[in-house]
Amino acid sequence: MPTIIIDGRHIECRERISVLQAALDAGLNIPHYCYHPGLSIVASCRLCLMEMKMAHPQTGELGWAPKLMPSCQTPVKEGMEVRFNSEMVASNQRHVMEYLLLNHPLDCPVCDQAGECMLQDYALKFGRATSRMVEPKHWNAKKDIGPHTLSYQDRCILCGRCVRFCREVAGTGELCVVNRGYRNEIDVFPGLPLTNELQGNVVDICPVGAMLDKKFLMSQRVWFLESAESVCPMCSRGCTIRVDHNRRRVWRLKPRFNPQVNGWWMCDRGRFCSGLIYDDRRLRQPAMRRDGSRVPLDWKDVASMVRARFEEAGKLEGGKQMGIVVSPFMSCEEAWLLTSFIRQVAPNAMFAVLPSPVRGEDEIFPTGSPRERAKFVISAEKAPNRRGVEKACLQAGGRHSSYEDLLAEMAGGRIKTAWIAAGSPESSGPSELIKAAGRLDYLVVQDYLGGVLSGAANLVLPMCAWTEREGSFMNEGGLVQRFQRAVPPPQGLMQDGQYLFEIAGRRGVFNAGRVRQMMAESGMAEFQAVHEAPVGPVHAH
Amino acid sequence: MATFQPVLTRNYGVKDSHLLSVYREHGGYEALSKALAMGAENVVEEVKRAELRGRGGAGFPAGVKWGFLPPNRKVTYLCVNCDEAEPPTFKDRTLVEKDPHQLIEGILITGYATRTTAAYIYMRAEFHRQFHVMQRAVDEAYAANLIGPNIMGSDFKMDIYIHRGAGAYVCGEETGLMESIEGRRGWPRIKPPFPAVEGLFGKPTVVNNVETLCCVKHIIEEGADWFLGIGPKGSKGPKLFAVSGPVRRPGVYEAAMDITCRDLVFGEDFAQGLTEGEELKGVLPGGISMGILGGDELDCKLDFDDVRRYRLLGLGTGAAVVVPKRTDIRTVLLNVARFFAHESCGQCTQCREGTGWMAKIASRIASGAGRIEDLDLLVEISNSMGMMPGMNICGLSDGAGWVVRSVVEKFRGELEEKIKAQPAGAAERALRQINPAYYEGAARVSAR
Amino acid sequence: MGWKAVDRQTSPIPRDAGPVLSAEARAKIRGFLDRYETRRGALIPALHVAQESAGHLSLQVMKEVAECLEINPADVLDTTSFYTHFWTHARGKKVVVVCRSITCQIMGGDEVLEAVKKQLGIGEHDTTSDGKYSLITEECLAGCDHAPCMLIGERLHERVKPENVPAILADELNDMIDVPRSALYDGVKPGAG
Repeated sequence: MPTIIIDGRHIECRERISVLQAALDAGLNIPHYCYHPGLSIVASCRLCLMEMKMAHPQTGELGWAPKLMPSCQTPVKEGMEVRFNSEMVASNQRHVMEYLLLNHPLDCPVCDQAGECMLQDYALKFGRATSRMVEPKHWNAKKDIGPHTLSYQDRCILCGRCVRFCREVAGTGELCVVNRGYRNEIDVFPGLPLTNELQGNVVDICPVGAMLDKKFLMSQRVWFLESAESVCPMCSRGCTIRVDHNRRRVWRLKPRFNPQVNGWWMCDRGRFCSGLIYDDRRLRQPAMRRDGSRVPLDWKDVASMVRARFEEAGKLEGGKQMGIVVSPFMSCEEAWLLTSFIRQVAPNAMFAVLPSPVRGEDEIFPTGSPRERAKFVISAEKAPNRRGVEKACLQAGGRHSSYEDLLAEMAGGRIKTAWIAAGSPESSGPSELIKAAGRLDYLVVQDYLGGVLSGAANLVLPMCAWTEREGSFMNEGGLVQRFQRAVPPPQGLMQDGQYLFEIAGRRGVFNAGRVRQMMAESGMAEFQAVHEAPVGPVHAH
Repeated sequence: MATFQPVLTRNYGVKDSHLLSVYREHGGYEALSKALAMGAENVVEEVKRAELRGRGGAGFPAGVKWGFLPPNRKVTYLCVNCDEAEPPTFKDRTLVEKDPHQLIEGILITGYATRTTAAYIYMRAEFHRQFHVMQRAVDEAYAANLIGPNIMGSDFKMDIYIHRGAGAYVCGEETGLMESIEGRRGWPRIKPPFPAVEGLFGKPTVVNNVETLCCVKHIIEEGADWFLGIGPKGSKGPKLFAVSGPVRRPGVYEAAMDITCRDLVFGEDFAQGLTEGEELKGVLPGGISMGILGGDELDCKLDFDDVRRYRLLGLGTGAAVVVPKRTDIRTVLLNVARFFAHESCGQCTQCREGTGWMAKIASRIASGAGRIEDLDLLVEISNSMGMMPGMNICGLSDGAGWVVRSVVEKFRGELEEKIKAQPAGAAERALRQINPAYYEGAARVSAR
Repeated sequence: MGWKAVDRQTSPIPRDAGPVLSAEARAKIRGFLDRYETRRGALIPALHVAQESAGHLSLQVMKEVAECLEINPADVLDTTSFYTHFWTHARGKKVVVVCRSITCQIMGGDEVLEAVKKQLGIGEHDTTSDGKYSLITEECLAGCDHAPCMLIGERLHERVKPENVPAILADELNDMIDVPRSALYDGVKPGAG
């Protein structure tokens, strides 16, 4: 771990990084645009320039070199001394900021980026208060460059991050630079728009309001948004994300930096999945079947009803005729609460995990590169928590079967009481289950969307969207990540963890952290660490 | 000033000098034979000893540049910089059209010394006639086994390709040139890595100017001592100087670098002074990037070092243009500012926006709507850019800033006088017309 | 909500458009591939040949070049738009390039430009209505010893006097050079073998 001196301060840093990265790691807010730790270094914005102490070529004496050096391009070396707090550096920063704002439109009042704009922030700290150009600004067009993204080129500062992202991370290279000199712009080949699966990230990395998300355009001022730590629920990769919400509504999802899972990125399917929260087909309240019709239930009756039924069924041969299908869309805590309750009342019940939907193969980015050199992977398994749920099931002990075997038992009439948790946000329960369920005496269905499966149930318990619950998911690599509740569930719904908590006979309010503690105490070591350390910073730029 | 037998321009007056047969009649390709017999290391040593400095504008010692190539390399490229776009340079043009085989021989000798696999002659697109002459000369040389799989019967093999440019001054910068050969936009690269280690297609590469490579041929032919016998300390060997403007004999002159600007413009053996009725206001002696000399600074020696005493950026290409008294200095200012705004590649913030801004200001001054503070602003913008102070990636920014500052500083008197002579309120009125929104404080109405 | 944005999603190339570059032009373009280590290296020679074959580098031509070299069309657009020699919109049969750099300006280039504009009846970046001439100005053509200069096609006209401009423009052979040519970078006209 080399130690370098920045502005007189001794800073210990990682090896083989740039001085700029070392400074940023140490919390120094050195202004920069084109540098991004996930992309190649181009040193083109010229804002991060620093002074460095070097040996004089003739005398060998150490002194401040008369030449500025880009801190993004200079690797750290033990004992090197650099400074940003000098007039030469400050003068360059003022000039660069003035130049960037020279032809920049005065769009702040109507620009999405306001409030999280690096141009605003650096102009305030390092720039000039006024521009001295009296001639008219030149103007570039606003472009519709893809199904999800706009490019307002009059605001672009040509940091080149978006172009490098598409070339180096996505591997698709839709974006390019056109023209020369002060007429430089970013563009796509007309007719070949920005469509790669990771394209939403260019909006994240754009320091200004040039790359814009169509869905988010002019919908919220970012200073009204609050952020919840979260994990993407759309595949087993479990990218670390945050949920930006305001007034009980989710407005956008953004990735958080996690070197173990997703780096700085997330895919479009995850990024734009918050629409699923507002699906009309969602189950709106608990209900039961009585005399052939659907009767809404009061939440206060649910727990006792369920408990009574399952305790009863559990007495018969220790619950040998009971089958539980656990959903890979449930959180670890929810799965544990359910399975530990069932195990308590029915030691011989049969557990199976509903298979995750699988679509195609894992997608590796940059496209065409071998897996070892992948910068991002989208998993083919489209559920977030199969591994966590399997762990919970195993821990509960007893009879485990494959999903197919449990279906066979149900179809063969050997299972009489069942609890099926489905929970996919895109389609309601699988049809083979519905068929097999025809011979059950009593069926509880927990699902997200209403459909034939919930229609066949004796008791329907709605599942909430993941932004409406707190819990944790275990991704395909075994990493457990927690997610916080961002918005309350719609009127009439109760957080899954809460009713499962009550069904399990516990008193009080469901708290995911406390449940994890209980899980750790019961022998599940993976859940000890999650409780203690949150993953990643909430805001990553 | 010492005289010597010209070598670079030796064949200029010879009829059909571009033909291989004629070139051979005048001793052509004997230096190549000699080099092949000397051995590659000895050729490098000889060029190092001769203190040959690059003639493309930067003046970097060629032998030292070759020495940076990693010894264990497998592939080496040689890029021949024939982009010649610095106004008002035209010396490489004459070399290529009048004596193409001299260049080919220089390329082959350099290629042999540096174990080059392939050489690319980067020739600007506007050199149409020169391309045809050069390509046919290359074809002749291939046919005569002077280029190809076994050159002159030895086991030295090399290819020479002409890669035509497409109209970009910045592609004369060595890394911009390499980017252009690779089929990309000519955005110069950051260094490190240096071209000698990781250059064209990521391989060890040497980039040399046309005139430099022609000098290599003569160094091998006549020997390093002969080369050292020409010119002052630090600026050895013959140099081509191009003179243009309202002079009696514009053209290319081969001289030692102890020549002064006065000699070059007024000398009997050189441009012979200004034409009838013209008087001298100033001279830009190195190509516009280097800056301007006032009429009282003509004793400046045109070598790599003395020029700095006169606050020129360097010798540059040694192409001098005489600015006559009748030319308004504001026109000169606009001309150079507009050039750099047009040619800036756009990567670095200060150069991209700064050159554009300087051109806008110079345009306004030239149209009679300048303000005194504009001159200070121009100097400040010039000072904010440049590769030498570390602000930018390439030297275009140094040239852009230097010439504007040079013209403003050395001709401040005339500029202020012209600005003060504008009708009262001219600047104010013009600005209100050019940019009403700025002055009325109105928001720009979006009509797109 | 928001401003109206220029559509980049729809291709302006007509679906049923037949190829612009002939098979021979494509073969010539591919012939450059063995001079460079990467396919992209052949791009600039390819663009020269394509421009000379098709007249200018329209989006369709750029796409065909990309297909021919098997590279990304966005990369072709990137490179093409950088260089002033490449025209992305139609140009006249002959392009008149008047030099505007320092020496030519001092030696009367402005008057030559005005004479050309007057004679052709067009401004800079325009094309005559009969499609014969386009006019642009360019930076230093390296003909400063014979300033002011003007390039028509491949031929550099030297020491041009404004009063001679009409005669120069009327000369059918004003773009022919006086030396034997190499066809290496020439276009392939339709029907040529």
